[in-house]
Amino acid sequence: MHRFVPASDELPQPPDSPRLRGPLDARSCEVLFRECAADVHAYAISLLGERSAAEDVTALAFERLYRSRARLDLSRGTPRAWLFSIARNAALDELRSRRRRPLLELDEGLAGESSAGEELERLARLATVRDALAALPIRERELVLLKFHGQLTNGELARALGISESNAGTRLHRALTRLRERCADLDRQEVA
Amino acid sequence: MRVISFPGGDSADPQSTWVLELEAALNGESEGPAAESWRELREDVRALAPPMTPAFEQRLAERLAERDARPSRHRRLDRARALVRPRALAAMASVVVAGALVALVVGLGEQRPQHPVPQLASQAPSGAERVNAAPQAHASAGAAGQTSSAATPTEVKANAQGLAPAVSAPAGATGRVQQLAASVGLSASPGNVQNVSDGVARVAAGDEGYVQQSHVQVQQHGPSEANLTLKVPSARLAAVLAAIARLAPVSSESQSLQDITNAYEAAHQRLADARAERRALLRALAAATTEGQIDSLRERLTQARNAITQDQAAVQSVSQRASTAEIEVTVLGNAAGKAAASEGLTLHRGLHDALRVLTVALIAILIAAAALVPVALVIAALAIARRTWRRYQRERALDPA
Repeated sequence: MHRFVPASDELPQPPDSPRLRGPLDARSCEVLFRECAADVHAYAISLLGERSAAEDVTALAFERLYRSRARLDLSRGTPRAWLFSIARNAALDELRSRRRRPLLELDEGLAGESSAGEELERLARLATVRDALAALPIRERELVLLKFHGQLTNGELARALGISESNAGTRLHRALTRLRERCADLDRQEVA
Repeated sequence: MRVISFPGGDSADPQSTWVLELEAALNGESEGPAAESWRELREDVRALAPPMTPAFEQRLAERLAERDARPSRHRRLDRARALVRPRALAAMASVVVAGALVALVVGLGEQRPQHPVPQLASQAPSGAERVNAAPQAHASAGAAGQTSSAATPTEVKANAQGLAPAVSAPAGATGRVQQLAASVGLSASPGNVQNVSDGVARVAAGDEGYVQQSHVQVQQHGPSEANLTLKVPSARLAAVLAAIARLAPVSSESQSLQDITNAYEAAHQRLADARAERRALLRALAAATTEGQIDSLRERLTQARNAITQDQAAVQSVSQRASTAEIEVTVLGNAAGKAAASEGLTLHRGLHDALRVLTVALIAILIAAAALVPVALVIAALAIARRTWRRYQRERALDPA
């Protein structure tokens, strides 16, 4: 299970911060890799549904980030947002080239675990969320994944999607509302 | 303007409120069941993704570390690649601007009249046949000059403002005889009027001319002035004007041209007639048989000789007018001239030159911009179109098959 990682103080801050305005240095890249690699991989594997493709996308995203770090414009978002924009482009390129319908893999460890009732309840909830997510249209699913794995603000989300911030908020609202409704429907079906 | 909302109408956009609440919940800034459920949903979605395998993580970390550990030459290359585009563009723009600047300066330098020699004056012959042979033949102008009995003076005035006089003589016509004249006003300090006048006289003498008339008035307290009338060969007019302009700042300058073809041809015709009459009289004298006839013819021959002499003088006079240009030089000694003659002159010229350079630079920039801006716009449009197309293609990957 992934742990929520708050934005690190070690990473370059947006231009509001007087600390750093230049491109990413090697140390910042290393910190970014440590803190974001798992999330990028999680986003990619959730979207692409295949481990090898997710690993390719993750590697490609970091390669591109390292290559373009001299051009990083911190006025347009945090390095994390920059990284996820790159990862999204790579993932969409991968999707487009292989024309694969994304599949949602279940955590390998999820099915094998069995213990106390609380854990069983969590596993059941995860299964519900997984099914609800899988039932979402792919565009909405991608938005949810980007939001939750990337932990992007709506502004960064809008920039990554190439749409306005209000439009991003609208789409996110619609996607999350639908996700919760699906979860509720699935819960009701299970109870019934 | 202050907007006062209706009571109960203080309702922000529900969606914006929802977005703000979601952000606050995900950032841990709000509490409560709703916020807790959002955080739980996020954790559940994140928990669904299988973790990276340690092997892949290790491999990727090593790959990136290897990339960072590349020789510094490669890193410099990367940095150079990142910088090469803006620098190349800037260099290209600089080259274009510099090229346009040089071309303009050279072009203006070629166009600038550097004491142009009046065509008519420079080609006026020195002998009796002072017929202008300038190549710029204006048939209509020539015809008009021939039919008109009155000479047509053409005057070009220019305020030289401290520069060498910008003499620009009008183009002459083939076969025309023309008389040139010019007047130059010089500014000098009161104590320098005499020196400038002497310099003007020396210039005239050095160019095969002479001072026909001069009047110099120098006062201890008050304005000083000198007036000189120079006669110089028409062919040397431009050179003399340029030399005079170097003596002191030129405050005014004018040049005139008068067509004297009719007078020239009339004098020649009269001379030819007189000679013909003399030849006829000589033939009649040879055939005369009586004393009365001989005496009468001799008297008429004497008259004819006198007429020939007068006509020859007239022809020489007209020729002299064509071959000699008259220059009226006025040297004014005043405070302005003093200032101009001293440092003010340098400052003025410097400012003028600076202004000229700035103007030329501005023109060059405008020309360069006129050439570069459309190209840049096309490139930008292509780049935007390519980017939009790629984004569209990527987004299509999310469309249902």
